[in-house]
This record gives sequence, structure tokens and C-alpha cells, in this order.
Amino acid sequence: MTAPVAPPGGDTRSDRPTPARPAHRLPFRADQRLGLLVLVVGLGALFGVVRPTFLDARLVLFPLFRDVSTLTVVALAQMVVLSVGHMNLAVGRMAAFGALFAGLGYDRLGLPLPLGLLLCLCAGAAIGALTGWIITRTGVSSFVVTLAMDFALLGLVSLLYSALTENAAFTTKPSGLAELRSYSLADICVGPVCGSPVIPQLAQFTVLALLGLGFLYGATRIGRELLLTGANPAAAELSGIPTGRRVVLAHTLSGLLAALAGFMAAVGTGTFRASIGDDFMLPSFLGSVLGGTLLTGGVVSVVGALLGTALVGVIRKGLELLGVGLESLNIYLGCVLLLALSADRVRTVVSHRKVVRST
Amino acid sequence: MMTIRDRGAAALRRFSRSTTTTLLCVVLVGYLALGVASSGSFFEGPSVRTFLRYLATPVLIGLAQMVALCVGQLNLAVGALGGFTACLMGVLMADQGVPAGVAVVAGVLVATAVGLVTGLFIVVTKINGFIVTLGTMTILQGAQYGLTGTRTVDGYSAALRDFGRAAPLNVPLVFLTALAAAALLAAFLYRATAGRRLLAAGGNPLAARLSGISTDRQIVLAHTVSGLLIGVAALTATASLPGVNRSVGGDWLLPSFAAPIIGGVALTGGSVAVLGTVLAAFVMRLIDAARAQFSLDPSWVNFLIGVVVLGTVVGGRIHQSHVAKRGGSRGSAPPAPPRGDARPAAVSPHPGGSG
Repeated sequence: MTAPVAPPGGDTRSDRPTPARPAHRLPFRADQRLGLLVLVVGLGALFGVVRPTFLDARLVLFPLFRDVSTLTVVALAQMVVLSVGHMNLAVGRMAAFGALFAGLGYDRLGLPLPLGLLLCLCAGAAIGALTGWIITRTGVSSFVVTLAMDFALLGLVSLLYSALTENAAFTTKPSGLAELRSYSLADICVGPVCGSPVIPQLAQFTVLALLGLGFLYGATRIGRELLLTGANPAAAELSGIPTGRRVVLAHTLSGLLAALAGFMAAVGTGTFRASIGDDFMLPSFLGSVLGGTLLTGGVVSVVGALLGTALVGVIRKGLELLGVGLESLNIYLGCVLLLALSADRVRTVVSHRKVVRST
Repeated sequence: MMTIRDRGAAALRRFSRSTTTTLLCVVLVGYLALGVASSGSFFEGPSVRTFLRYLATPVLIGLAQMVALCVGQLNLAVGALGGFTACLMGVLMADQGVPAGVAVVAGVLVATAVGLVTGLFIVVTKINGFIVTLGTMTILQGAQYGLTGTRTVDGYSAALRDFGRAAPLNVPLVFLTALAAAALLAAFLYRATAGRRLLAAGGNPLAARLSGISTDRQIVLAHTVSGLLIGVAALTATASLPGVNRSVGGDWLLPSFAAPIIGGVALTGGSVAVLGTVLAAFVMRLIDAARAQFSLDPSWVNFLIGVVVLGTVVGGRIHQSHVAKRGGSRGSAPPAPPRGDARPAAVSPHPGGSG
């Protein structure tokens, strides 16, 4: 489970543990993701059979995929800080903060679509970096700092919106925003072959984020150092990793991803307003934790975040179509979270016993 | 044994004294400033009554969170459980015609039971308390919406309303209830054996286990007490609000953390500050009152509270490193800043544990 014991690039790699570790680890983790995938597909098929409207491309699947792509980025934003053993409770508010700057750029500065997105990402990264810096400088738990940041941004974003706009929302839409919102892969054709109408174009950002983080954690030294910082800060410090800088990096990335999610949510709803990101906190933990990321740090699963979010999205949409009211929906989602984690706990205990017995 | 306890108590007292005195000064100065700014009307009966009436709930939810924090747990379900309990009381009285007393007792018992179940679930499954309470929060929010839907329940009994309105000598009964709960909690945590066990389990779980204290039982107890306090908070909220709906409790979570953190409670567990938490709730209420006085945007309150919490955190850290530096120059051991100068005096720090 604990991925890196020695920092990569170190010369202490003996032959014995290196081949043994992947052999132990791979089937276990592949198992969890596979289970999630089976669950997502199975539930989707089940809902499709019970309610054929579930498979309606335009009305159900397209919005579902759009929601899932946004919330996956939210889950990734949480996952990055979880990887160093921290938390980001301000993930929704950082999204709102980023979206505020994008809206400001479009409304006041008349920026084109990509530049506004860039401004949004810079704002998110800056606020994330500030949070990380406060945490490393003061040594106070990330929970408290991000909670306070949540308070401060909650107030600040609303104040800025009411100071800068008449009805608390930026409504100026740069060219390309409406297309980004409603176009799917079916609108991109390479010769006679067109894409699927259920995959929104908005998902390109999610794919980019997934690939970027997958590369960071899977193939780079910095990614490994982030994980080691989360798994054992003292050991990381002793093996020469600048843990403080890695923590700041994790929070910066989290802010950046949160801002991206805020931008995607704003594109999805069509307006830049203060309420963006209000309901991001629960999905951010649901997606990442169901996907197999540990709260204690040191273990992440990038694909798991996508699958966990997809599972929640499918359950939510399916129950909605089955006529379960909004109120009971929350009850079911809470139960799913607790049940999934209890099952996970049981599996951990069982596999731990197996390991103990085999040694 | 005695030296350890004395040293611990002295350190605790010194720390709590410094935070508490600062808070006390802030409260007094803020209150006076607000009174002067409102040209005296803030000191008159009606203003004082309103101020104290809406202080009761923040105090209680702050204490509820503090109890969870003192064993190193977090309770994210504070707002959801409070809102659910308040709606349950309201619905029982308005729709079922249950007398006020029975409804209140039922509500408080349900809240306590939910706390107990949460604690048991955490202990049995060993899932992180953060995630478990995140789950219960979602479930309870759904249940609260299921109870009230989109309506506002306000047809509840006159007895409870009178209780919310009654204010002998301009001190509302609901506020006295909160103070009584705080006093009982302080007596429990500082004087009772069970309370000391709670703190021991939070401060050093390993040492507590070695000295025969079941940390699991303390976690269950902490969540149960937290549930009980939330039940009382729901009572004061129901009594003082004009009606209960699904938005009750929606904005409790952040203040519930802010009060103990500003009041000087460590998130790592093992420390409590009942008076500090009460005073911190006072400070936040002052910010809210000032906002109303100068008719500012409600967002200012959140912004200011966030800045105050960040300021407390950073300031506390600076103070600590300052103390550490002073201790270091005197020639004692550099680590463990707060006790830097007390260390050489201890004769045998380890043998007795914290029994």
C-alpha cells in the first residue's frame, strides 16, 4: 500500500524488494478500480433496463457526463492534498474564487475565452499557494487553515460579486462559451466519422487533468516525493525531500484544479456567480476516497477519482429517474459512502491478516 | 505523579489564562466600542436581550465541537444534527400535537442517540471520524429535508415560545441554559474522572491505553456528549427562532469550529477550554452585531471570522516560537516550546503514565 519506501533516484535499490512490491501491490489496487468499474457499468445497465430514459443521450447521459467531468476535477483537487496527508475544506470556495476572476476578465477586461481561463487558473493557484504557505510557515493543521480560508473566501467572494456587479453575477459571455457548454464530441468530425454525442467537449479539461496528474504521480520524481511526504513526513524530511515545498506545491495544484472545476461549473450553468462550488465539498471527498485515496496520505488513485465520481453520479442520476426525491437522495448517498468504506475496511482487515499469516 | 499533574495543570492554566484574558479584553472592548458607536442604545434592555438570545446556540455548538475535538475527533455533522433535531421538535409539536416538554426531551434523546451511534460506528469500523461524520451529515440533511420539505414549521407550542422569550433581568433563559450547559461540561471535564479520562485519551492515546483507559470508549463518550449538546443547541434554536425549516443548522458548521479554535483548543486533542470557547462565541456574536449595527453586507461576518481564525492561528504560532526562543536562550532543551523551562524541574517524567 505505501508506495515509495525509498525516493526514486536513490542508489539504495536492492534487487529483493523492487520486484516483490509491484507483485504485492498491483492485483490489490487493480482489484479495487476494477470493482468500481464493474459497479458503475452494472448500475448504469441496471438503471437503463429499469428506466429506458436513463440511456437517453441528449437529456440524461450528456448532462450526467458533464457533471461527472466537473466533479472529477473537484475530486482530483482534493486528492492532491490528500496525497500529502492534508485536507482542503476550501475546495468549493477556491472554485468560486477562480470563477470570479474568469467572470471579471470576461466582463471588465473583455478577454477571450482561453485568457479568462488562464486568469482563473492563476487566481486559484495563487490562493492555493497562499494556503500552503500559511500551513508550512505556521505548522498548523491544514484542516484549520483551509477551514478559515473557506470562511474568508466565502465572505470575500460574495463581497466582490456585490461590489462589482448589479445582480451578483457576471453574465457577459465571451464567444465560444456557449459552444463549450453544449457541444459534444458529435460536433467534431474527422471526415465522415463523428464522435459520440454523449461525451461533452468540457471533458477535455478533465482528460487533461487526469493525464497530467497520472504522469505526475506515476512517472516523476516530484510525484513520488509528494507521496512520501504524505506517507511519512519525518522519513521524507530525513531523506532530503523539501517537505515544506512539496506541501505548498500540493496546495497550489489543489487550488489550480479547484479553479478549473469552478470554471467548468460556471460554463455548465452559463453564469459566473458566488454560489459556484457551494456543493463541492462532499463530492470532493466522496470521489477521491471511494476511488481508493487514503485520508492519511501516501496513496492516491487518479483513475479511482474518476471512477468514484462516476459511481456517485450514476447512483444520483439513477435514483432521481426512479422517482426518489431530493431529500432521500442525500440519505442514500450518505449510506453509500458509509457502506462502501465499511466494505473497504473489511477488505483491508482481511488482506492484512493474509499478509500477517504469510510472513 | 504529583509533579506531573501539577506541571500539567500549571501549563494548562498558564496557557488558558493567556488566551482567555486576551479574549476577555477583546469582548469587553468590542462591547464598549459597539455601545459607544450606537450612542448607548446597545446597552439598553431590548438590544441586550436580542444579543444574548442569539448567543446561546453558537456557544452550545462550539462546546459540542470542542468535546469531539478533545479526543482528537471532528464532528462535521454538528449543523445537520442540530437542524434535524430542531425540525424534529417542531414537527412533533406542530403536526403531532405532542406537548412541548415531551417533544423537547424526545429531540434531545434522539440527538444523543445519533451521537452514540456515530461514535460506535467509528469505533467498530475504524473508519476516520471525519468521513463517518461527513456521511452522517449527508444522511441527516436528507432526513431534515424529509421532515419539513420546503415549508417553515412555526405552529409549535406557546410554552416553548415563552421559554425562548422569557428574560428575567434582561438575561434570556435560553442564554442561561447555554451557560448552565457550559458550567456542567466544565465540571465534567475538569473535575470528574470520566472527563479526565476523555482528555487523557485525546492527549496521548497510547499512554492512555497503557494506563488502562479504553480509547474506543472515550471516542464513543465524546460523540455522545457532543450529540447531547447539539440536542440542547437545537432546543435553544427552536425556542428563539420564529420557525424552523430546512435551512436551520446550515450555517452552524463553520462557527462550531471557529469558536473552539479561537478559544485555544488544539485540534490534535487533549486540550479543552470551556471558558475560551464561550468567549470566542461571544466575539463572533459581536462581529455579527456590529454588522447589523452598521448595516453591512452579511458576507462581512464570514470574511471577518475567517480572518480572525487565521490571525489566531498565526498569532498563536508566533507566540509559541517566541516562547521557545526565550526558553532556548536560557539554556533549556529547545523542543516542546510551552514547557521549555519546566522540564528540568521534573524528577521522573515517565513511570506513572498519566494515571
